[in-house]
Amino acid sequence: MTQETILHTIYRAIDEFNTLLPTSQHLAKSPHTPLFGGSQAHLDSMGLVNFIILVEQYAEDTFGRAISLADERAMAQRHNPFETTGALADYIARILDEETA
Amino acid sequence: MTDILEILFNRFRGASTAEALIWQDRAFLYQDLLSRRSAVQNDLQNRNITAGSVVALKADLSPQSVATLLALLVQQCIVVMLSQPAAGQRAETFRTAQVEYGIQIDGADHMHYQPLPYRPDHPLYRQLWKRQHPGVVLFSSGTTGERKAVVHDATTLLEKYRARRYNLRTLAFMPLDHIGGMDTLFYALSNGSCLVTIPDRSPQTICRAIERHQVEVLPVSPTFLNLLLLSRADEHHDLSSLKYITYGAEVMPESTLKRCAARFPHVTLLQKYGTTETGTLRSKSERSDSLWVKLGGAEFQTRVVNGILQIKAVSSMLGYLNAPSPFTADGWFITGDRVEVHGDYLKILGRNSEVINVGGEKVYPAAVERVIQEIDGVHEVTVYGEKNPLLGNVVCAAIQAARPLDPPAFIRHIKRHCREHLPPHHVPVKIKWIDTEPEYRHFKKTRHV
Repeated sequence: MTQETILHTIYRAIDEFNTLLPTSQHLAKSPHTPLFGGSQAHLDSMGLVNFIILVEQYAEDTFGRAISLADERAMAQRHNPFETTGALADYIARILDEETA
Repeated sequence: MTDILEILFNRFRGASTAEALIWQDRAFLYQDLLSRRSAVQNDLQNRNITAGSVVALKADLSPQSVATLLALLVQQCIVVMLSQPAAGQRAETFRTAQVEYGIQIDGADHMHYQPLPYRPDHPLYRQLWKRQHPGVVLFSSGTTGERKAVVHDATTLLEKYRARRYNLRTLAFMPLDHIGGMDTLFYALSNGSCLVTIPDRSPQTICRAIERHQVEVLPVSPTFLNLLLLSRADEHHDLSSLKYITYGAEVMPESTLKRCAARFPHVTLLQKYGTTETGTLRSKSERSDSLWVKLGGAEFQTRVVNGILQIKAVSSMLGYLNAPSPFTADGWFITGDRVEVHGDYLKILGRNSEVINVGGEKVYPAAVERVIQEIDGVHEVTVYGEKNPLLGNVVCAAIQAARPLDPPAFIRHIKRHCREHLPPHHVPVKIKWIDTEPEYRHFKKTRHV
Protein backbone atom coordinates (compact mmCIF):
# COMPACT_ATOMS: atom_id res chain seq x y z
CA MET A 1 0.00 0.00 0.00
CA THR A 2 1.50 3.34 -0.95
CA GLN A 3 2.15 6.03 1.64
CA GLU A 4 0.08 8.34 -0.56
CA THR A 5 -3.03 6.11 -0.38
CA ILE A 6 -2.68 5.84 3.39
CA LEU A 7 -2.25 9.60 3.78
CA HIS A 8 -5.26 10.16 1.55
CA THR A 9 -7.27 7.88 3.86
CA ILE A 10 -6.10 9.87 6.90
CA TYR A 11 -7.06 13.12 5.14
CA ARG A 12 -10.61 11.79 4.61
CA ALA A 13 -10.77 11.20 8.36
CA ILE A 14 -9.42 14.74 8.93
CA ASP A 15 -12.18 16.18 6.71
CA GLU A 16 -14.80 14.36 8.76
CA PHE A 17 -13.14 15.24 12.08
CA ASN A 18 -12.94 18.94 11.15
CA THR A 19 -16.69 19.14 10.55
CA LEU A 20 -17.12 18.71 14.30
CA LEU A 21 -14.61 21.39 15.30
CA PRO A 22 -14.48 25.19 15.17
CA THR A 23 -12.29 26.41 12.28
CA SER A 24 -9.54 27.53 14.68
CA GLN A 25 -9.06 23.92 15.81
CA HIS A 26 -9.08 22.29 12.35
CA LEU A 27 -6.35 19.78 11.58
CA ALA A 28 -4.32 20.53 8.46
CA LYS A 29 -4.01 17.91 5.74
CA SER A 30 -0.23 17.55 5.79
CA PRO A 31 2.12 14.72 6.82
CA HIS A 32 3.65 17.13 9.34
CA THR A 33 0.45 17.91 11.24
CA PRO A 34 1.14 17.31 14.95
CA LEU A 35 -1.49 15.06 16.49
CA PHE A 36 -0.68 13.78 19.97
CA GLY A 37 2.20 13.76 22.44
CA GLY A 38 4.63 16.21 20.83
CA SER A 39 5.17 19.81 21.93
CA GLN A 40 2.79 21.14 19.23
CA ALA A 41 0.13 18.44 19.73
CA HIS A 42 -3.40 19.36 18.64
CA LEU A 43 -5.39 16.58 20.28
CA ASP A 44 -6.34 15.85 23.86
CA SER A 45 -7.24 12.31 24.96
CA MET A 46 -10.86 12.46 23.74
CA GLY A 47 -9.76 14.13 20.50
CA LEU A 48 -7.16 11.42 19.90
CA VAL A 49 -9.64 8.61 20.49
CA ASN A 50 -12.28 10.22 18.25
CA PHE A 51 -9.75 10.81 15.49
CA ILE A 52 -8.24 7.31 15.68
CA ILE A 53 -11.69 5.71 15.47
CA LEU A 54 -12.47 7.76 12.34
CA VAL A 55 -9.15 6.76 10.77
CA GLU A 56 -9.91 3.09 11.57
CA GLN A 57 -13.32 3.41 9.90
CA TYR A 58 -11.91 5.05 6.73
CA ALA A 59 -9.02 2.56 6.66
CA GLU A 60 -11.51 -0.31 6.70
CA ASP A 61 -13.35 1.33 3.76
CA THR A 62 -10.13 1.78 1.80
CA PHE A 63 -8.26 -1.44 2.56
CA GLY A 64 -11.23 -3.76 2.96
CA ARG A 65 -10.26 -5.02 6.42
CA ALA A 66 -10.53 -3.81 9.97
CA ILE A 67 -7.35 -2.55 11.63
CA SER A 68 -6.87 -1.64 15.26
CA LEU A 69 -4.63 1.37 15.81
CA ALA A 70 -4.71 2.26 19.51
CA ASP A 71 -3.85 -0.95 21.30
CA GLU A 72 -1.06 -2.78 23.13
CA ARG A 73 1.00 -2.85 19.94
CA ALA A 74 0.83 0.98 19.72
CA MET A 75 2.03 1.32 23.33
CA ALA A 76 4.94 -1.01 22.65
CA GLN A 77 6.25 1.05 19.70
CA ARG A 78 9.69 2.61 20.09
CA HIS A 79 8.28 5.94 18.84
CA ASN A 80 4.88 7.47 19.42
CA PRO A 81 2.87 6.40 16.33
CA PHE A 82 0.40 9.28 16.81
CA GLU A 83 2.85 12.17 17.01
CA THR A 84 2.09 13.40 13.45
CA THR A 85 -0.08 12.36 10.52
CA GLY A 86 3.09 11.13 8.77
CA ALA A 87 4.04 8.94 11.77
CA LEU A 88 0.50 7.57 11.80
CA ALA A 89 0.69 6.77 8.06
CA ASP A 90 4.00 4.89 8.63
CA TYR A 91 2.42 2.97 11.49
CA ILE A 92 -0.62 1.99 9.38
CA ALA A 93 1.72 0.86 6.59
CA ARG A 94 3.62 -1.37 9.07
CA ILE A 95 0.39 -2.89 10.40
CA LEU A 96 -0.87 -3.61 6.86
CA ASP A 97 2.49 -5.12 5.90
CA GLU A 98 2.65 -7.30 9.02
CA GLU A 99 -0.89 -8.52 8.55
CA THR A 100 -0.27 -9.29 4.87
CA ALA A 101 3.00 -11.10 5.55
CA MET B 1 -13.14 28.20 63.57
CA THR B 2 -13.72 24.45 63.98
CA ASP B 3 -11.07 22.34 65.68
CA ILE B 4 -9.74 20.69 62.50
CA LEU B 5 -9.48 24.00 60.64
CA GLU B 6 -7.64 25.46 63.65
CA ILE B 7 -5.12 22.59 63.42
CA LEU B 8 -4.67 23.04 59.67
CA PHE B 9 -4.18 26.81 59.97
CA ASN B 10 -1.57 26.30 62.71
CA ARG B 11 0.32 24.06 60.29
CA PHE B 12 0.09 26.70 57.54
CA ARG B 13 1.52 29.30 59.93
CA GLY B 14 4.30 26.85 60.90
CA ALA B 15 5.17 26.45 57.21
CA SER B 16 4.73 30.16 56.39
CA THR B 17 7.93 30.54 54.36
CA ALA B 18 7.55 27.20 52.58
CA GLU B 19 6.14 26.94 49.07
CA ALA B 20 2.42 26.09 49.10
CA LEU B 21 1.55 26.31 45.42
CA ILE B 22 3.23 26.58 42.06
CA TRP B 23 0.83 28.35 39.73
CA GLN B 24 1.77 29.44 36.21
CA ASP B 25 5.35 28.47 37.12
CA ARG B 26 5.44 30.97 40.01
CA ALA B 27 5.82 29.95 43.65
CA PHE B 28 3.35 31.10 46.32
CA LEU B 29 4.23 30.60 50.00
CA TYR B 30 1.96 29.54 52.85
CA GLN B 31 2.14 33.12 54.14
CA ASP B 32 0.79 34.31 50.76
CA LEU B 33 -2.16 31.93 51.07
CA LEU B 34 -2.81 33.09 54.65
CA SER B 35 -2.80 36.78 53.76
CA ARG B 36 -5.01 36.19 50.70
CA ARG B 37 -7.36 34.16 52.88
CA SER B 38 -7.67 37.09 55.34
CA ALA B 39 -8.39 39.51 52.48
CA VAL B 40 -11.09 37.22 51.04
CA GLN B 41 -12.56 36.79 54.53
CA ASN B 42 -12.96 40.58 54.86
CA ASP B 43 -14.48 40.73 51.42
CA LEU B 44 -17.00 38.01 52.31
CA GLN B 45 -17.98 39.84 55.48
CA ASN B 46 -18.40 43.15 53.63
CA ARG B 47 -20.70 41.39 51.16
CA ASN B 48 -22.70 39.88 53.99
CA ILE B 49 -21.71 36.33 53.04
CA THR B 50 -21.96 34.86 56.51
CA ALA B 51 -22.06 31.53 58.36
CA GLY B 52 -24.42 29.09 56.65
CA SER B 53 -24.48 30.92 53.29
CA VAL B 54 -24.48 28.59 50.29
CA VAL B 55 -21.75 29.72 47.87
CA ALA B 56 -20.79 28.13 44.55
CA LEU B 57 -17.06 28.27 43.82
CA LYS B 58 -16.17 27.83 40.18
CA ALA B 59 -12.43 27.75 39.88
CA ASP B 60 -9.37 25.86 38.81
CA LEU B 61 -6.61 25.39 41.36
CA SER B 62 -4.82 28.68 41.96
CA PRO B 63 -3.61 30.79 44.91
CA GLN B 64 -6.88 32.74 44.89
CA SER B 65 -9.12 29.70 44.62
CA VAL B 66 -7.38 27.91 47.51
CA ALA B 67 -7.49 31.10 49.64
CA THR B 68 -11.18 31.53 48.79
CA LEU B 69 -12.05 27.92 49.62
CA LEU B 70 -10.24 28.25 52.97
CA ALA B 71 -11.96 31.59 53.72
CA LEU B 72 -15.39 30.13 52.93
CA LEU B 73 -14.74 27.15 55.22
CA VAL B 74 -13.53 29.40 58.05
CA GLN B 75 -16.62 31.56 57.50
CA GLN B 76 -18.72 28.36 57.98
CA CYS B 77 -20.24 28.64 54.54
CA ILE B 78 -21.50 25.70 52.49
CA VAL B 79 -19.26 25.58 49.43
CA VAL B 80 -20.62 24.11 46.19
CA MET B 81 -17.61 23.09 44.10
CA LEU B 82 -18.01 23.54 40.35
CA SER B 83 -15.86 23.04 37.28
CA GLN B 84 -17.01 23.71 33.75
CA PRO B 85 -20.56 22.40 33.50
CA ALA B 86 -21.94 21.81 30.01
CA ALA B 87 -24.18 24.59 28.67
CA GLY B 88 -27.55 24.47 30.35
CA GLN B 89 -26.27 22.62 33.42
CA ARG B 90 -25.24 25.75 35.33
CA ALA B 91 -28.75 27.02 36.16
CA GLU B 92 -29.86 23.51 37.11
CA THR B 93 -26.84 23.16 39.39
CA PHE B 94 -27.53 26.46 41.15
CA ARG B 95 -31.18 25.53 41.60
CA THR B 96 -30.45 22.02 42.92
CA ALA B 97 -27.85 23.27 45.39
CA GLN B 98 -29.95 26.35 46.33
CA VAL B 99 -26.95 28.59 45.74
CA GLU B 100 -27.15 32.14 47.11
CA TYR B 101 -23.86 33.46 45.74
CA GLY B 102 -21.63 32.43 42.88
CA ILE B 103 -17.90 33.13 43.01
CA GLN B 104 -15.92 32.61 39.85
CA ILE B 105 -12.14 32.86 39.70
CA ASP B 106 -10.93 33.59 36.20
CA GLY B 107 -7.71 32.65 34.43
CA ALA B 108 -5.98 35.80 35.74
CA ASP B 109 -6.91 34.73 39.30
CA HIS B 110 -9.46 37.52 39.76
CA MET B 111 -12.67 36.95 41.72
CA HIS B 112 -16.15 37.71 40.40
CA TYR B 113 -19.20 37.66 42.67
CA GLN B 114 -22.72 36.96 41.46
CA PRO B 115 -25.79 37.09 43.74
CA LEU B 116 -28.31 34.35 42.91
CA PRO B 117 -32.03 34.17 43.62
CA TYR B 118 -32.14 30.85 45.52
CA ARG B 119 -32.84 30.58 49.24
CA PRO B 120 -31.43 27.46 50.94
CA ASP B 121 -33.71 25.48 53.23
CA HIS B 122 -32.77 21.85 52.55
CA PRO B 123 -32.88 19.59 55.65
CA LEU B 124 -29.21 18.62 55.09
CA TYR B 125 -28.21 22.28 55.13
CA ARG B 126 -30.27 22.69 58.31
CA GLN B 127 -28.16 19.91 59.89
CA LEU B 128 -24.99 21.83 59.06
CA TRP B 129 -26.42 25.09 60.39
CA LYS B 130 -27.40 23.35 63.64
CA ARG B 131 -23.90 21.88 64.01
CA GLN B 132 -22.41 25.27 63.09
CA HIS B 133 -20.10 23.48 60.68
CA PRO B 134 -19.00 24.45 57.17
CA GLY B 135 -20.12 22.19 54.31
CA VAL B 136 -18.87 21.03 50.93
CA VAL B 137 -21.15 20.01 48.05
CA LEU B 138 -19.76 17.91 45.20
CA PHE B 139 -21.65 16.53 42.21
CA SER B 140 -21.62 12.92 41.12
CA SER B 141 -23.29 11.46 38.02
CA GLY B 142 -26.76 10.00 38.47
CA THR B 143 -28.28 7.09 36.58
CA THR B 144 -30.91 9.01 34.65
CA GLY B 145 -28.84 12.04 33.77
CA GLU B 146 -29.47 14.27 36.74
CA ARG B 147 -26.30 14.80 38.73
CA LYS B 148 -26.50 13.92 42.41
CA ALA B 149 -25.51 16.69 44.81
CA VAL B 150 -23.42 15.15 47.61
CA VAL B 151 -23.39 17.14 50.87
CA HIS B 152 -20.43 16.72 53.21
CA ASP B 153 -19.85 18.16 56.65
CA ALA B 154 -16.46 19.76 55.93
CA THR B 155 -15.18 19.05 59.43
CA THR B 156 -15.66 15.28 59.08
CA LEU B 157 -14.40 15.32 55.49
CA LEU B 158 -11.19 17.00 56.70
CA GLU B 159 -10.80 14.88 59.85
CA LYS B 160 -8.43 12.41 58.20
CA TYR B 161 -5.89 15.20 57.62
CA ARG B 162 -5.49 15.70 61.40
CA ALA B 163 -2.57 13.24 61.51
CA ARG B 164 0.63 14.53 59.93
CA ARG B 165 1.98 12.44 57.08
CA TYR B 166 4.59 12.84 54.37
CA ASN B 167 5.72 16.21 53.04
CA LEU B 168 6.09 15.60 49.30
CA ARG B 169 5.87 17.93 46.31
CA THR B 170 2.70 16.84 44.56
CA LEU B 171 1.20 17.50 41.16
CA ALA B 172 -2.44 18.64 41.20
CA PHE B 173 -3.97 16.46 38.49
CA MET B 174 -7.64 16.15 39.47
CA PRO B 175 -9.84 19.25 39.44
CA LEU B 176 -11.09 20.84 42.66
CA ASP B 177 -14.67 19.67 42.19
CA HIS B 178 -13.55 16.01 42.18
CA ILE B 179 -13.18 14.14 45.50
CA GLY B 180 -9.68 13.09 44.36
CA GLY B 181 -8.77 16.75 43.71
CA MET B 182 -9.97 17.76 47.18
CA ASP B 183 -7.96 14.90 48.69
CA THR B 184 -4.77 15.92 46.87
CA LEU B 185 -5.23 19.55 47.96
CA PHE B 186 -5.84 18.88 51.64
CA TYR B 187 -3.27 16.08 51.90
CA ALA B 188 -0.63 18.46 50.54
CA LEU B 189 -1.70 21.48 52.61
CA SER B 190 -2.04 19.49 55.84
CA ASN B 191 1.57 18.39 55.51
CA GLY B 192 2.99 21.78 54.59
CA SER B 193 3.74 20.44 51.10
CA CYS B 194 3.91 22.20 47.78
CA LEU B 195 1.19 21.55 45.20
CA VAL B 196 2.17 22.05 41.56
CA THR B 197 -0.71 23.17 39.32
CA ILE B 198 -0.79 22.63 35.55
CA PRO B 199 -2.56 24.46 32.71
CA ASP B 200 -3.66 21.25 30.96
CA ARG B 201 -3.38 17.49 31.45
CA SER B 202 -1.34 16.53 28.38
CA PRO B 203 1.59 14.16 28.99
CA GLN B 204 3.97 16.83 27.65
CA THR B 205 2.78 19.52 30.08
CA ILE B 206 2.85 17.16 33.04
CA CYS B 207 6.35 15.82 32.31
CA ARG B 208 7.60 19.37 31.95
CA ALA B 209 6.04 20.35 35.32
CA ILE B 210 7.57 17.30 37.04
CA GLU B 211 11.03 18.21 35.77
CA ARG B 212 10.81 21.95 36.32
CA HIS B 213 9.25 21.81 39.80
CA GLN B 214 10.82 18.59 41.07
CA VAL B 215 7.50 16.85 41.63
CA GLU B 216 7.68 13.78 43.88
CA VAL B 217 4.07 12.51 43.73
CA LEU B 218 2.02 12.17 40.57
CA PRO B 219 -1.64 11.30 41.31
CA VAL B 220 -3.27 10.34 38.00
CA SER B 221 -5.80 8.09 36.27
CA PRO B 222 -4.89 4.86 34.42
CA THR B 223 -5.99 6.61 31.21
CA PHE B 224 -3.34 9.29 31.72
CA LEU B 225 -0.72 6.56 32.23
CA ASN B 226 -1.81 4.94 28.95
CA LEU B 227 -1.40 8.28 27.17
CA LEU B 228 1.96 8.91 28.85
CA LEU B 229 3.25 5.49 27.79
CA LEU B 230 2.00 6.07 24.26
CA SER B 231 3.37 9.60 23.89
CA ARG B 232 6.79 8.71 25.36
CA ALA B 233 6.88 12.30 26.68
CA ASP B 234 8.86 11.00 29.70
CA GLU B 235 11.84 10.33 27.42
CA HIS B 236 12.25 14.05 26.75
CA HIS B 237 12.28 15.10 30.42
CA ASP B 238 14.20 14.33 33.57
CA LEU B 239 11.66 12.69 35.88
CA SER B 240 14.19 11.54 38.48
CA SER B 241 12.47 13.56 41.25
CA LEU B 242 9.39 11.33 40.98
CA LYS B 243 8.97 8.90 43.90
CA TYR B 244 5.32 7.85 43.73
CA ILE B 245 2.67 7.51 41.06
CA THR B 246 -0.77 7.07 42.60
CA TYR B 247 -3.66 6.00 40.42
CA GLY B 248 -7.42 5.71 40.81
CA ALA B 249 -10.85 6.81 39.49
CA GLU B 250 -11.11 3.86 37.10
CA VAL B 251 -10.03 0.24 36.90
CA MET B 252 -6.32 -0.15 36.12
CA PRO B 253 -5.64 -2.60 33.25
CA GLU B 254 -2.99 -5.08 34.37
CA SER B 255 -1.03 -4.52 31.14
CA THR B 256 -0.81 -0.74 31.74
CA LEU B 257 0.34 -1.27 35.33
CA LYS B 258 3.06 -3.74 34.35
CA ARG B 259 4.26 -1.53 31.50
CA CYS B 260 4.33 1.47 33.81
CA ALA B 261 6.22 -0.42 36.52
CA ALA B 262 8.78 -1.45 33.90
CA ARG B 263 9.08 2.09 32.45
CA PHE B 264 9.50 3.70 35.90
CA PRO B 265 11.43 1.10 37.95
CA HIS B 266 12.48 3.63 40.63
CA VAL B 267 8.95 4.89 41.22
CA THR B 268 6.51 3.22 43.62
CA LEU B 269 3.05 2.75 42.09
CA LEU B 270 0.18 2.98 44.56
CA GLN B 271 -3.51 2.44 44.02
CA LYS B 272 -6.01 4.90 45.54
CA TYR B 273 -9.70 4.32 46.07
CA GLY B 274 -12.49 6.65 47.04
CA THR B 275 -16.00 7.74 46.21
CA THR B 276 -17.60 11.18 46.20
CA GLU B 277 -19.92 9.91 48.93
CA THR B 278 -17.30 8.57 51.36
CA GLY B 279 -14.08 10.43 50.60
CA THR B 280 -10.75 8.83 49.70
CA LEU B 281 -9.61 5.84 51.76
CA ARG B 282 -6.09 5.18 52.91
CA SER B 283 -4.60 2.43 50.79
CA LYS B 284 -1.53 0.25 50.39
CA SER B 285 -0.74 -1.63 47.19
CA GLU B 286 0.81 -5.08 47.57
CA ARG B 287 3.57 -4.18 45.07
CA SER B 288 4.11 -1.62 42.32
CA ASP B 289 3.04 -4.11 39.66
CA SER B 290 0.15 -5.60 41.64
CA LEU B 291 -3.52 -4.70 41.50
CA TRP B 292 -4.07 -6.08 45.02
CA VAL B 293 -4.62 -3.28 47.50
CA LYS B 294 -5.40 -2.94 51.22
CA LEU B 295 -8.01 -0.29 51.96
CA GLY B 296 -8.92 1.24 55.27
CA GLY B 297 -7.32 3.53 57.84
CA ALA B 298 -8.68 4.49 61.25
CA GLU B 299 -11.50 6.53 59.73
CA PHE B 300 -12.75 3.80 57.36
CA GLN B 301 -14.18 0.27 57.59
CA THR B 302 -14.74 -1.96 54.58
CA ARG B 303 -16.73 -5.13 54.01
CA VAL B 304 -17.64 -7.17 50.96
CA VAL B 305 -21.24 -8.31 50.57
CA ASN B 306 -22.09 -10.55 47.60
CA GLY B 307 -18.85 -9.52 45.93
CA ILE B 308 -19.63 -5.78 46.21
CA LEU B 309 -17.51 -3.40 48.28
CA GLN B 310 -19.23 -1.48 51.09
CA ILE B 311 -17.64 1.34 53.08
CA LYS B 312 -18.41 2.88 56.46
CA ALA B 313 -16.50 6.11 56.91
CA VAL B 314 -16.19 8.96 59.39
CA SER B 315 -16.04 11.20 56.31
CA SER B 316 -19.23 9.86 54.70
CA MET B 317 -21.55 12.46 53.26
CA LEU B 318 -24.65 13.61 55.11
CA GLY B 319 -26.69 12.66 52.05
CA TYR B 320 -27.82 13.79 48.60
CA LEU B 321 -29.74 17.03 48.08
CA ASN B 322 -31.73 15.50 45.23
CA ALA B 323 -31.86 11.72 45.83
CA PRO B 324 -32.78 9.34 48.66
CA SER B 325 -30.10 8.23 51.13
CA PRO B 326 -28.05 5.37 49.65
CA PHE B 327 -26.80 4.07 53.03
CA THR B 328 -27.84 0.70 54.50
CA ALA B 329 -29.78 0.81 57.78
CA ASP B 330 -26.50 0.28 59.68
CA GLY B 331 -24.70 3.11 57.87
CA TRP B 332 -22.73 1.33 55.12
CA PHE B 333 -22.36 2.85 51.65
CA ILE B 334 -22.76 0.33 48.81
CA THR B 335 -20.12 1.38 46.29
CA GLY B 336 -21.41 -0.78 43.40
CA ASP B 337 -17.82 -1.87 42.73
CA ARG B 338 -17.21 -5.59 42.33
CA VAL B 339 -14.11 -6.79 44.18
CA GLU B 340 -12.12 -9.97 44.62
CA VAL B 341 -10.80 -10.70 48.12
CA HIS B 342 -7.50 -12.34 49.04
CA GLY B 343 -6.76 -12.15 52.78
CA ASP B 344 -6.55 -8.45 53.68
CA TYR B 345 -6.17 -7.43 50.05
CA LEU B 346 -8.83 -6.52 47.51
CA LYS B 347 -8.78 -6.31 43.73
CA ILE B 348 -11.18 -3.73 42.26
CA LEU B 349 -12.92 -5.27 39.24
CA GLY B 350 -15.20 -2.37 38.30
CA ARG B 351 -18.79 -1.29 38.50
CA ASN B 352 -21.52 -3.85 38.70
CA SER B 353 -23.83 -1.62 36.74
CA GLU B 354 -24.33 -0.14 33.32
CA VAL B 355 -22.21 2.91 34.08
CA ILE B 356 -19.55 3.51 31.40
CA ASN B 357 -16.23 4.66 32.88
CA VAL B 358 -14.52 6.80 30.22
CA GLY B 359 -11.01 7.67 31.38
CA GLY B 360 -12.19 7.98 34.99
CA GLU B 361 -15.38 9.91 34.15
CA LYS B 362 -18.62 8.08 34.85
CA VAL B 363 -21.19 8.18 32.08
CA TYR B 364 -24.71 6.87 32.54
CA PRO B 365 -26.20 5.74 29.20
CA ALA B 366 -29.64 7.14 30.10
CA ALA B 367 -28.18 10.65 30.44
CA VAL B 368 -26.79 10.50 26.89
CA GLU B 369 -29.93 8.85 25.50
CA ARG B 370 -32.05 11.66 26.91
CA VAL B 371 -30.02 14.26 24.96
CA ILE B 372 -30.07 12.25 21.70
CA GLN B 373 -33.77 11.53 22.04
CA GLU B 374 -34.42 15.31 21.93
CA ILE B 375 -33.17 15.46 18.32
CA ASP B 376 -35.84 15.69 15.67
CA GLY B 377 -35.62 12.59 13.47
CA VAL B 378 -34.46 10.16 16.17
CA HIS B 379 -36.94 7.34 16.67
CA GLU B 380 -34.98 5.15 19.09
CA VAL B 381 -31.53 5.31 20.64
CA THR B 382 -29.55 2.94 22.80
CA VAL B 383 -26.28 4.07 24.33
CA TYR B 384 -23.72 1.48 25.39
CA GLY B 385 -20.05 1.24 26.31
CA GLU B 386 -17.34 -0.37 24.22
CA LYS B 387 -13.87 -1.31 25.49
CA ASN B 388 -11.14 1.08 24.42
CA PRO B 389 -7.43 0.48 24.98
CA LEU B 390 -6.66 4.13 25.77
CA LEU B 391 -9.65 5.36 27.77
CA GLY B 392 -10.82 2.05 29.24
CA ASN B 393 -14.22 2.47 27.58
CA VAL B 394 -15.88 4.80 25.10
CA VAL B 395 -19.51 5.77 24.61
CA CYS B 396 -21.30 4.40 21.53
CA ALA B 397 -24.88 4.80 20.34
CA ALA B 398 -27.20 2.78 18.12
CA ILE B 399 -29.74 5.00 16.39
CA GLN B 400 -32.93 4.26 14.53
CA ALA B 401 -34.28 7.22 12.56
CA ALA B 402 -37.95 8.18 12.54
CA ARG B 403 -37.91 8.78 8.77
CA PRO B 404 -35.53 8.31 5.81
CA LEU B 405 -32.44 10.47 6.37
CA ASP B 406 -28.89 10.62 5.02
CA PRO B 407 -26.99 8.55 7.62
CA PRO B 408 -23.54 10.28 7.49
CA ALA B 409 -25.08 13.78 7.65
CA PHE B 410 -27.49 12.83 10.41
CA ILE B 411 -24.71 11.15 12.47
CA ARG B 412 -22.67 14.38 12.18
CA HIS B 413 -25.72 16.33 13.32
CA ILE B 414 -26.16 14.05 16.35
CA LYS B 415 -22.48 14.36 17.31
CA ARG B 416 -22.66 18.16 17.03
CA HIS B 417 -25.80 18.27 19.16
CA CYS B 418 -24.14 16.06 21.79
CA ARG B 419 -21.01 18.23 21.85
CA GLU B 420 -23.16 21.27 22.55
CA HIS B 421 -25.20 19.65 25.30
CA LEU B 422 -22.92 17.12 26.99
CA PRO B 423 -19.44 17.06 28.56
CA PRO B 424 -16.78 15.74 26.12
CA HIS B 425 -16.53 12.26 27.66
CA HIS B 426 -20.29 11.71 27.21
CA VAL B 427 -20.34 12.34 23.45
CA PRO B 428 -20.62 9.03 21.51
CA VAL B 429 -17.47 8.34 19.49
CA LYS B 430 -19.23 5.69 17.40
CA ILE B 431 -22.79 5.93 16.17
CA LYS B 432 -24.26 2.81 14.61
CA TRP B 433 -27.06 3.35 12.12
CA ILE B 434 -29.87 0.84 12.51
CA ASP B 435 -32.39 0.86 9.71
CA THR B 436 -34.18 -2.42 10.09
CA GLU B 437 -36.34 -3.37 13.00
CA PRO B 438 -35.04 -6.97 13.45
CA GLU B 439 -31.41 -5.83 13.64
CA TYR B 440 -32.35 -3.07 16.04
CA ARG B 441 -33.73 -5.64 18.47
CA HIS B 442 -30.17 -6.71 19.30
CA PHE B 443 -29.63 -3.26 20.77
CA LYS B 444 -32.91 -2.93 22.60
CA LYS B 445 -32.61 -1.55 26.05
CA THR B 446 -33.00 -4.03 28.84
CA ARG B 447 -32.14 -1.69 31.65
CA HIS B 448 -34.67 -0.32 34.09
CA VAL B 449 -33.98 3.23 35.20
